[in-house]
Amino acid sequence: MKYRLDIAGQTVEMEAHGTGKGEAYHVTIGNQVYHIRYLALEGGCYHLFVNGRAAEAFVARTEHGKQVFVKGKCFLLRDAHRPLLRRGKRPGLQDGPGEVTPPMPAVVVRILVQEGDLVEKGQGLVVVTAMKMETTLVAPRGGKVKKINAAVNDKVAPGDILVEIEEEEKEEEGVEENG
Amino acid sequence: MFKKILIANRGEIAVRIIRTCREMEIETVAVYSEADSAAAHVLEADEAVLLGGSESSESYLNMERIIEAAKQTGSEAIHPGYGFLAENPEFAALCEKNGISFVGPPARVIRHLGDKVLARKTMKEAGVPIIPGMLTGTTDLKVLAQEADKTGYPVLVKAVAGGGGKGMRVVRDPGSLEQACIEARSEAEKAFGNGALYLERCLERPHHVEFQILSDHHGHVVHLFERECSIQRRHQKIIEETPSPSLTPSLREAMGKAAISAARASGYVNAGTVEFMLDRKGGFYFLEVNTRLQVEHPITEMTTGIDLVRKQLEIAAGHPLSLEQEDIIPRGHAIECRIYAEDPEAGFFPSPGPVLLLREPSGPGIRNDCGIYRGFEVPVEYDPILSKLIVAADDREAARRRMIRALETYVILGIKTTIPFLIDLLNSEAFIAGHTDTGFIERYFSNWTQRAEDVHIACAAYLADELELTSTTARSQKAPAGWPTPWQSLGEWRL
Repeated sequence: MKYRLDIAGQTVEMEAHGTGKGEAYHVTIGNQVYHIRYLALEGGCYHLFVNGRAAEAFVARTEHGKQVFVKGKCFLLRDAHRPLLRRGKRPGLQDGPGEVTPPMPAVVVRILVQEGDLVEKGQGLVVVTAMKMETTLVAPRGGKVKKINAAVNDKVAPGDILVEIEEEEKEEEGVEENG
Repeated sequence: MFKKILIANRGEIAVRIIRTCREMEIETVAVYSEADSAAAHVLEADEAVLLGGSESSESYLNMERIIEAAKQTGSEAIHPGYGFLAENPEFAALCEKNGISFVGPPARVIRHLGDKVLARKTMKEAGVPIIPGMLTGTTDLKVLAQEADKTGYPVLVKAVAGGGGKGMRVVRDPGSLEQACIEARSEAEKAFGNGALYLERCLERPHHVEFQILSDHHGHVVHLFERECSIQRRHQKIIEETPSPSLTPSLREAMGKAAISAARASGYVNAGTVEFMLDRKGGFYFLEVNTRLQVEHPITEMTTGIDLVRKQLEIAAGHPLSLEQEDIIPRGHAIECRIYAEDPEAGFFPSPGPVLLLREPSGPGIRNDCGIYRGFEVPVEYDPILSKLIVAADDREAARRRMIRALETYVILGIKTTIPFLIDLLNSEAFIAGHTDTGFIERYFSNWTQRAEDVHIACAAYLADELELTSTTARSQKAPAGWPTPWQSLGEWRL
C-alpha cells in the first residue's frame, strides 16, 4: 500500500509491506525503512513499536484529515491525493488565492471594504470575533474586491469565502474601469 | 456555614469551586446559557438553572436573572469565580440588597479599587510604592500632553476604569501621544463606559509579581506569598509560577508587607491579589488589586496547602480567619500552564469546536482543573480557556520537567491548543534561566511554529489508523466498548 501524506508543511511518501492487524510490517517513510508493530487500544489510541521502541500516538479523524498527537505535538495528516478542502494556508503568509476565509469558526464584526475597492496585500478586509477576541482578516494579495459574501453578525467557518479578490492587470492600474 | 450556594460562572473555575463545596458538604447550583446546556460545570453541580441565550449579556452577565436563580433555588451565597461579574460592584451590591452573601469583598471595596487612580492615591497615602505618574484621571488631551512631559517618555496611557489591557497604550515619543490617547479613550469608553485616562511611567521589561492575600471580616490579614506571572500574550498570562525566580528573600518580605498594607488601606475582605511591577533594579511598584479569585490561584494552593476557595467561603460566612502569618510556609515550586483553545501558529487565534479525544495527564504532583470532556463542543461565545494544568515539585527544575512530561501526555484532539507551544517555551534556555519578563513571548517566540519532530511516528499512526479503519469496516462496525482485552485487540487468531 502506498500513501502520500501532507504533514507539517511537507509531503511524505510512505509505503507499507505486510498487512493485517497486530502483524509486524515494514514501512518506508521518505527514504527510511521502519519496522512497525502496533496495538489499537481504546478509540484513537495506538501503542506503536517503531524499530522496537515504544511510542504512543492518538488519532482523531476529521473532515480535513487525521489529527495525530505524538508527545505533546499535534499534526494534521492529509492524503495528498485528495483535493484540498478549501481550508488553504493561513492567509497573509504568501500570495495565495484571492479568497479570504476565517481560520476558525467566528462571527463577522465589521467589513472594512466594499465591492470594487482596490486593496493592497496585507490590507484589512473583514474583522471577525471568536471567543472574545477580534481578529482582522487581511488581503492575501493585492487586487480588486470582486465579491463580498458576508454580512455583519454572520456566523462563518473555515472554507467560507468571505471576500474574493481578483488580480488587477498591471497596465490598468489606476484606470477607472467603470467610469 | 452555607447549606447551598450558586456559582455565577462557567467552565473550569465553576467546576473547581463545586469540588470544594462538595468537600464542605455545601450544595451547589450551576447557571448556564443555551450554548452551555451540556457544559462540564452543569454536569458537576447538584442543580442547574438556565439563564438565557448564549450571549453573555443574556446569561452570565445577566445580574437580575442570576439573583432570581439564587432566590428560586434557596442559595445563601453567590460565588462569582473570575471574569464575568466577579469584579462588578453593582452585582455585589445587588447581592447585598437581596440578602445573599457575595463571595468576595464588599461592593464599596470593589468600587474603590476598580477606580485605578483612586487606588493609586490610597496606596500612596498608605506608604505602598506606586509607579510615578498621575493621581487623577482626565479626558483632556492637553492635560495629558503636559503630564506626559512631566513623567517622561516612554509613557503608559491607561484607562481609569481599565483592565485586561483595554484602553492601554505605550507611547514612545510626544508625536504619537495624541493619537494613542484618542484611541485609548474610545476603547475605554466602549469597554467600561468611562473614557478617563491617566499616565504612568513605562517600565522597561518589567516583571509582573503578585501577592495573594486573605482578609476576614474582623480585620485580620495574611498574605500567601507571591506568584510570578510575567509570561503573557496579549496582556494575558499563559504560564505562572511560585516562588518567583526574580525575588530575593528580603524583597519578598518587603513586598509581602506592602501587600498587607495595601489590603488594610482599602479595607479589604476575602481573597484578593495585590499586583506589583518589578523593575530590573529590584524596585517594586503597586499596580492594582484584583478583587477576586485569580485564574492562577492553584499554584499558591499547591505550595501552601491551603484551599483558597474554602477560605473564601469561610470568610464570606463571617468566620474568623484561623491562620497566622507564621503558619503559612510555602514548600517547593509550582507551575501553572493555561490550556487555551487557540492556534499558537496563527497568532493565538481562537479554535472552538468539538473535543474528539481527551486524555488528561496524571501522576505525582499533577493537578488538572478542567472544564471540558470528550465529546464537548467548545463554544465560540466565551473565553478560550479549556483547563489549567498545575504541577508541584521540590524545586523549579523538577517542576519544569514534571510539567513538560505532563503536557506531553495531555491529549486534546479536534481543536487546536497551546500545548505544543507551552512545551517549547518550558524547554527554552530563557525559561530555564528564569528570564521571564513581560516581553518574553514577543522576544523569543514570535512566529513560533511546531517542530517537525516525530513526524515518522505520526505517519506510522496514520497507517495504523488506516489499517484499523479497513479492518473494522470489514468486520461489520461496532467497536467493542471500554478498554479492550487481548481477545479483541489481537484480532483473528487460532489455536
